[in-house]
Amino acid sequence: MARAHRVALTAFIITVAYFLTLFDFLSVPLLDAAYAEQLLPVLPWWFLVSFGSYCLWSIGLGLVTLRECPEAYDELVGEIAEAKNELRTRGVTVD
Amino acid sequence: MNPFESNVSRNMQGSFNSPDTHKYSVILPTYNERKNLPVIIWLLAKTFNENNLSWEVIVVDDNSPDGTQEVALQLAKVYGEDKIILKPRAGKLGLGTAYIHGLSFVNGDFVIIMDADFSHHPKFIPQFIRLQKAHNLDIVTGTRYRATSKPASSDARPGGVHGWDFKRKLVSRGANFLADTVLNPGVSDLTGSFRLYRLPVLRHIITETVSKGYVFQMEMMVRARALGYTVGEVPITFVDRIFGDSKLGANEIVSYAKGIWVLFTTV
Repeated sequence: MARAHRVALTAFIITVAYFLTLFDFLSVPLLDAAYAEQLLPVLPWWFLVSFGSYCLWSIGLGLVTLRECPEAYDELVGEIAEAKNELRTRGVTVD
Repeated sequence: MNPFESNVSRNMQGSFNSPDTHKYSVILPTYNERKNLPVIIWLLAKTFNENNLSWEVIVVDDNSPDGTQEVALQLAKVYGEDKIILKPRAGKLGLGTAYIHGLSFVNGDFVIIMDADFSHHPKFIPQFIRLQKAHNLDIVTGTRYRATSKPASSDARPGGVHGWDFKRKLVSRGANFLADTVLNPGVSDLTGSFRLYRLPVLRHIITETVSKGYVFQMEMMVRARALGYTVGEVPITFVDRIFGDSKLGANEIVSYAKGIWVLFTTV
């Protein structure tokens, strides 16, 4: 079973459970029916907005925490010069 | 029971006459890398010799017109023909097949794959090897996005990038986030290609891998996880191409997204 099938199966079960609850075939445990009636219709939108927010935060945080490493560049430039000098003396064509 | 007779212990030991009983083979696919090849080999030789490791480099050249192969042969004279092994191919045949081609000439029991353009610095290889040994890992991959290694180790230094503008960073972060969310591979840097593999593990994964280009490296990690191999991560610094430029356009992004979809529906 590929990941797509597992995700689709989970999504299907959640959707069915949601609609059964929305149309009063199942009841929400530990929650007053009057509140549940108001919450259930907006629940998918809440999930959508939360997911969007999570995506933006994740990418934003990733961008902020992506470190710049100028010291690695400086070290590399020095090593390239050193390598070229040494290789030239050992008879390798370097330009 | 003698702990040294257990299978884990036996598998951790190599059969090579070298200080750590292992031999590390680097596969370097090249195309027009005449300028870069001598320096990357010099850096590799320096790293391996300083750390007392047994090594070889397999240069898989796709018939570069700029004379990469002549330079490789000169390097073989300097470092020894058992160390620098040139195995050219007839033309540009792609990255995945370059590794398969190189794999058939590997003499070591661990394989390191990396780019020949200095964006991957060999100085991280000893850290890869230490992490592999400490946890008996099948794969160790370099990551630009982490500050610590996974599993934790004391010698890891924060990773990072150099020479990327904001757009490049955004695309890279977005691409990794998309793949991470859709495929959940458990690895922070999917598009990177600086990795240490146990030889039979690489052979196994590469036969199952079908995609090409940017998706190839990602597919290797996703398949490794699906096959149950253990993967560790070491933070690396990534200096973008000093000579020549790397391409990242709309076409690459579309083919990357398609690749994620294919992996999502098949793995």
